Amino acid sequence: MGFYFKFFPLAVIIQLIFSELLTFNGYQANIMLLFVILSSMPLGNATQSTFLGFFVGIFTDFILFSGTYVGVSSLVFSICGFWASKVSYNFAFRNFDFYWISLVHLGIAIYSLFRYDYFFFNNFGLFIANWFFVTYFTCFIGLVIVKVFSLKEVLIDA
Amino acid sequence: MSKVPLIFKDYQENIVLALCVIISCIFIFNNDSNFIKNTKSKSVDTFSFLYTPFNWLDNQLFLNKKLEVLSSENLKLNLENQVLKVHETENKRYREFLNFKKRDNYIFMGADVISKGVSSNMSSVVIDRGLEDFVKINSPVLSSRGVVGKITSVSANSSEVQLISDVNFRLSVKIVPDEVEGILRWIRDDICEINEIKKISDIEIGDVVVTSNLSIYFPPNLPIGEVISIFEKSDSSNRTVRLKLFSDLTTLNQLFIVNEGI
Repeated sequence: MGFYFKFFPLAVIIQLIFSELLTFNGYQANIMLLFVILSSMPLGNATQSTFLGFFVGIFTDFILFSGTYVGVSSLVFSICGFWASKVSYNFAFRNFDFYWISLVHLGIAIYSLFRYDYFFFNNFGLFIANWFFVTYFTCFIGLVIVKVFSLKEVLIDA
Repeated sequence: MSKVPLIFKDYQENIVLALCVIISCIFIFNNDSNFIKNTKSKSVDTFSFLYTPFNWLDNQLFLNKKLEVLSSENLKLNLENQVLKVHETENKRYREFLNFKKRDNYIFMGADVISKGVSSNMSSVVIDRGLEDFVKINSPVLSSRGVVGKITSVSANSSEVQLISDVNFRLSVKIVPDEVEGILRWIRDDICEINEIKKISDIEIGDVVVTSNLSIYFPPNLPIGEVISIFEKSDSSNRTVRLKLFSDLTTLNQLFIVNEGI
């Protein structure tokens, strides 16, 4: 829980830097999603992580401004927070990167599904492009953060 | 009866997840409600200070480059202006002579982009002008190069601009000099498309696309982009025109809201 509150302001600042200064062809890395996934892993309490994910999502939707639908971030963060905290110690130890990268894929897929009036149904090509560009941009930034700050050890030991 | 709390305890995690998902879905499917709109406007207004340092940094980082571009554009426009002034005088004289209705003048109000949103592939931005500056919903928004979108919601000190790159955005346009009209929609990056244009129309690559006289909210002849390709289908009597926007939607910092004026 302490990890969550300690790094929340930092996540907001990094997200704002990426939103305002480091966009790539209009695509932005979703740092808040990374934050929710990585911070929920050491919680081990799915109820807590789901609630926290939900409130971070509401904050993102209303204050950081997500452009289209209010509620999408809270939906994505609740689901990802829930699943991130469900991981067992042994599994996380062996498949840390695989696990958070899978959750990033899942989260961005839901985001892309809801954007632009249900992209999936009216422009499948753009849905796929949006999903993969944002996912890999986010995963790249995530990998850099995880490796530079040795987050695997920090989170598993937390 | 006593089993109910036990069941809740057993399935607590799943119940909480379901609850959060249901509340989120209620928000998603009620985005048009006044409560959501007002709350969103108020929160953006209250927390707009969060973006200030990043906008300042963004402006500082690209200041020299912007100055360079503006200087060369200024020179080009000055030269064009000299030629256009001669045409304007001539045009005014002819319009008076033929008894045409006087055209409306428009006021352009400058605004800074305060947020580009955290969702990728942006479809809207927030600017620092609102009700206190007499901004109205559906007012056209331009960059220094051309149309970029329209106002979709206004709060006291900020407004949300729906960009051309929003998949739902449509705009009535015409291609000059042939004055062929059509509806514009965004395709990808800075490319847009105008469908169902008659094959007999005389359009060439490089023709300029401007707002048409048919739009309710957009005044005519605001620049949008230029034609880059024309497609024809053998089984159709129509053709599709693709255009490149004059404005770069990925680097929006200062925008202009068009208000009907004097």
